[in-house]
Amino acid sequence: MKRSPAKMLAVLLALAFLLSGCASRFERLEDVSSALYIAEVASSFPQTFMPWFSRDGVAPTISSMIYSTLLSYDDITDTYQPNLAAEWAYLDRQGQPLITADGRVDYARLEEEYSGKDTAFIPVRFALNPQATWSDGQPVTVRDIVFTFDLATNQKRSNHAGALVWANDLMHKYDQSTGRLRRQGIYTYDTGANEAGYPVSEAEKDHVFYFEVSKVLGAITPLVSTILVLPEHIYGSLVSIEQPINNTDPSPELRHAYENPVGCGPYQLDRANTNSQEIVLTRRADYHLKAPDGGALYKVDVLKFVLFQEINVAIYALKKGHVDVLDASVSANYARLFEHEPGISLFSAPGIFAQTLVINLNPPPERTNAMREQLTNPLLRRAIALAIDQDALIGYVLSGRGRKVPMGLVREGVLHNPRADLIQGPMEERLRQANEILDSLYPDKDDKGYRLSSGSRLSFQVLGSPGEQDLINYLQVLLQKIGVEVRYAPKGNSPENTYLYGGNFDMTLQGVSFTPANVDIMMNAHYCNLNRSSNYGRLKDEQLNARIASMRTTLNREYKYQLVQEIEELAAAHYYKLPLYCQDVLSAARTDRFTGWVVSPGVGAFNMDSLSRLTPSGQKGR
Amino acid sequence: MRKGYVLERILYTVFIFFIVITLNFFIPRIGVEDPAERYYPPQGNLTDTEYSIIKQLTRKQYGFDVSGWQQYLRYLSQLSRGDLGTSLQAGSPKVSTLIAQRLPWTLVLSLSNMLISVTLGLLLGTSAAWNRGKFADRALMNASTVMTALPAFFLALVFSLYMGFEWGWFPAYTEPDMVASFDWSWRAIAQVARNAALPVISMSIGGVISYAQGTRNSVIAVSQEDFITTARAKGMSTRTVKYRHVLRNAMLPIVTSLGMSVSGLIGGSVVIEQIFNWNGMGTLFLTANNTNDYPLMMGIMLFLSSFALLANLVTDLLYSLLDPRVSAGGGRR
Amino acid sequence: MRTTRRKNNLLAKIWHHPQGQVGLILAGLLVFAAVAAPWITPFDPYDVTQRAEKGLAPGWPHLLGTSISTGQDIFSMLIYGARVSLLVGIVTGLAIAFLGAFMGILAGYGGRFWDTLIMRLVDVMLVIPTLPLTIVLTNLFGKSYGMIIFIFTIFGWVGLARVIRSQVLVLKSSNYIKAAQLAGASRRYIMFRHILPGVSNLLIMSTALTSAGIMVAEAGLSFLGLGDPTAISWGKMLAEAQSGGALLFGHWWWIIAPGIGIFLSVFAFMRIGLALEEVFNPRMKRSGMLLRLFKSINGSYIQEVFDAMDDRPETDEAGKEAAP
Repeated sequence: MKRSPAKMLAVLLALAFLLSGCASRFERLEDVSSALYIAEVASSFPQTFMPWFSRDGVAPTISSMIYSTLLSYDDITDTYQPNLAAEWAYLDRQGQPLITADGRVDYARLEEEYSGKDTAFIPVRFALNPQATWSDGQPVTVRDIVFTFDLATNQKRSNHAGALVWANDLMHKYDQSTGRLRRQGIYTYDTGANEAGYPVSEAEKDHVFYFEVSKVLGAITPLVSTILVLPEHIYGSLVSIEQPINNTDPSPELRHAYENPVGCGPYQLDRANTNSQEIVLTRRADYHLKAPDGGALYKVDVLKFVLFQEINVAIYALKKGHVDVLDASVSANYARLFEHEPGISLFSAPGIFAQTLVINLNPPPERTNAMREQLTNPLLRRAIALAIDQDALIGYVLSGRGRKVPMGLVREGVLHNPRADLIQGPMEERLRQANEILDSLYPDKDDKGYRLSSGSRLSFQVLGSPGEQDLINYLQVLLQKIGVEVRYAPKGNSPENTYLYGGNFDMTLQGVSFTPANVDIMMNAHYCNLNRSSNYGRLKDEQLNARIASMRTTLNREYKYQLVQEIEELAAAHYYKLPLYCQDVLSAARTDRFTGWVVSPGVGAFNMDSLSRLTPSGQKGR
Repeated sequence: MRKGYVLERILYTVFIFFIVITLNFFIPRIGVEDPAERYYPPQGNLTDTEYSIIKQLTRKQYGFDVSGWQQYLRYLSQLSRGDLGTSLQAGSPKVSTLIAQRLPWTLVLSLSNMLISVTLGLLLGTSAAWNRGKFADRALMNASTVMTALPAFFLALVFSLYMGFEWGWFPAYTEPDMVASFDWSWRAIAQVARNAALPVISMSIGGVISYAQGTRNSVIAVSQEDFITTARAKGMSTRTVKYRHVLRNAMLPIVTSLGMSVSGLIGGSVVIEQIFNWNGMGTLFLTANNTNDYPLMMGIMLFLSSFALLANLVTDLLYSLLDPRVSAGGGRR
Repeated sequence: MRTTRRKNNLLAKIWHHPQGQVGLILAGLLVFAAVAAPWITPFDPYDVTQRAEKGLAPGWPHLLGTSISTGQDIFSMLIYGARVSLLVGIVTGLAIAFLGAFMGILAGYGGRFWDTLIMRLVDVMLVIPTLPLTIVLTNLFGKSYGMIIFIFTIFGWVGLARVIRSQVLVLKSSNYIKAAQLAGASRRYIMFRHILPGVSNLLIMSTALTSAGIMVAEAGLSFLGLGDPTAISWGKMLAEAQSGGALLFGHWWWIIAPGIGIFLSVFAFMRIGLALEEVFNPRMKRSGMLLRLFKSINGSYIQEVFDAMDDRPETDEAGKEAAP
């Protein structure tokens, strides 16, 4: 052959290098405008923006920026801030607002008025902010409210189980099988408010409405702070029983509405620049909420979300300056990477989820076996709880970036109950106590030091995902000191359906978070509900259930918190969900183009607070 | 090529296709009592009656409200309309849409890989064959044994580490705007080339060596055949002998292996795609697996199997075209 | 009796073959490492109390440093990784040999019914893409090496069966088989006493080479996370390196070490297989056809592997294929 293959190879390689030499232009490095580049780690970006759709990935973040809720809830102070609704109030039986002199909810009088048996609901009055508009210019009116909340309660037209849960406490009920309205609970000028005794004058007919909600303190929280309001002028004509809003096969018009969202939130979707790898939001000048000084509440004009498939790649992009901030929590192992980088800051915030070890204390008869039987003994569970050394776990698993969690599972705040922390004291003493308990139950040991129960080693499987393997291995080490063996068992796919809802496990790991906003739902889900819920171990305690029921129905806020604390104590005594640690949230952001990042418990550097404080430095990226 | 043979192969392919479709339908349902279990949302605060209504609606939405047989028939009619199913991702995109989006990108890698492997492999292999016993040949032998023991994904990691992360010769990860801003301009093409360089290099090194090896052996084998000796004896120039006789005949087995690797075109680069975050079918399948998106997974499986069937059929027919002995004998067996 | 003596001679022959010797030594070292792992490793990677600071560079006492995500000693993990590779490779190689031989002999000698049935089955199996199917099956039934061995066997016997079948068809027309038939021997008898020994060379060779190929494929599957999550394997080490940030931090040792492990094990068994090939067929000098096999396995397409084994003509029988 005349042509030498070596020469061809050389030519090809040269070509390849030439092509690669074309400098990769990374937008951000050249951008001097105030556009914020945010790295998101997900397998794909949504292409439709129906706000009630997906609750995972980047969709909820985007939805909450494009759409708004009636009020915003602040779970640190347990208060509601105005959003779409400029003012709101519970009403007493004469129709007067139940507000204290300084404008806050008068919970004491609320309890007085409604705790008796003769009332079935509480009326609430809302007045919409007249400045609120949709991104296409239309004003936000009560028609949008009626459409949204009526739809949420009508399963036939929504086909959305989640919406039904959120609106559960609104006394506006449809017969789910026939689709007929059984009971009206939303009142406006045009839908019989005045006739029902709720005064609405003609001047305010577009902005005032009334809800009737169930007599539960937490009733309005999901209604006002979870349900994103939909535009009636867009969706009203498109949604029907044949074409419900949650639709796997939407009509072209409905799909067009999904893909071109019209919302009343602080940002709107820049459809032209949005594609499968990037989502661009631009700030709305006519957003109805303003900063205290009257200027724009959020300081960043353009948000560009960039998709990365993997966290390592996203971190690399941050290091190289291709993005400004990472909207994902960073593992403690990576902290070293950022130490010597001048333009990057690492932020740490306390977490809000307590990682717990859940013990299957009440397996159904068909799922039980000799070993699992042992877990029904509370003394064994107490011994296990005694042996858990949270400090060691935090040091080993989290490299020190975490906090301890008391047995009541609430770390701080109004719900924290120090008396629920049944296990205290130095580790040696606790181990001694644990061994004492177990010596009386399982005196025999095998040659490795593990206790024997009826001749076989006391051994349990802990279901976990591959990332939790290390944690479970360390638990193994801790529990070896009291002679109990635990082993990692992979969770498999759809663990809820295959193992957890059916009670087919020994132990597993679960994240628990109790806050004043969610305590109604969460405590019920974790400690009472025996169907497909978070109560994996199927705890059944009548006294506890009664307390939880009272807690959910009482209208006295102080009493409610007191009950929550009692519930924590009662639950802790079961040694059911043993706290392991509360992991800090680590996040990273660049400070060369924007400064002013803030974090708060449970959130990373990229959050709405940061967006309201960031100031651009007007410089190019590094 | 006999008509009977063609017809027989086509009918046979259709028969296998039906078996594959049926398998595809049943696999997610094996050993599962209630396949709809995977789709129910958690109960939350709903009462039991409300929740049972939600479950009924979910069953209806995903087609589990009818008997198994009817589900199968529905599946067949859905397939006949070209609908491979609807993914569980937010926005319920159709499986066929997702595949159509990702397929071209996988093909970019596989076709480049095939092109480079075959051309370079042929060049190197023939060169080694003509220079039998000398340095080029021995180098090829040694390279063969080394390369076949090194998995392509390991090479990919090493290249990614050095040429990507450490030295920056190529992008360490697929640039996020590569797919979205592709507009057939030179800039876009250069961007794709730049990003595809490392994956293709990792995949094709092994391919080049193996095609080189195969060509070398094939050429050597053919050159020892009688008809070649005859041609030389007749006084044909070396070059004519080389090209017209040896190479043409040596190509046959290469074409076979080329044809067989066609079915690996799509599914074969899963691991490499994962390493480089390449936006292709491989990563689509992996994310479907991670999110338990069964309709998407089975849709892709069906697509890959159909493609493999088609590729096999075409290769068979082509091969019988090239080698008339085959169709008379009845096949590539 | 006869077979063991043959085997002894076989080992000796491989030993005397220069490349075979290399292969045997390497394989021996690997087997030793796998078996003696708990005793020869400086740290126990399963023992959480023996973890060290995360992300250390190679040095003393951690010869290959520690992992970024968990602080395990990489050198110890490397030695333990040999267990999985060798176990999965050898067991699957043997299983494929058995199943492939059984099906091949049955198809070749058992009569038209079995022949057609098995060949049809082969056609269906060839079409199904193996890697996606493995992913689906591990999703449905759980991830374990048993599942992986099962799937490899189910798909791997196909090619071997075809080769065996071709060989059987050749043998069928040989004189001593005809003599046995005339003498009234039953089909079964002939299959076991005559045909099986006749293909045994092929089987032994294929076991070695298949094992090598399976080791590569297993590394790929473990890399994707389809193997047992609690076991330590080289493929999984590579995956952990990637997701743990070895690329970000530049910890090349975490990536190179398992790769070399995979390389050595595959190389060893390939050498043994190739030496066997030359021992059995001294005329056929390194056809390299078998080498092509393992390129395909890299992509986990095992069926191509065995396709190649029978569709490529033997170098001394170019163009003449056994009629189906």
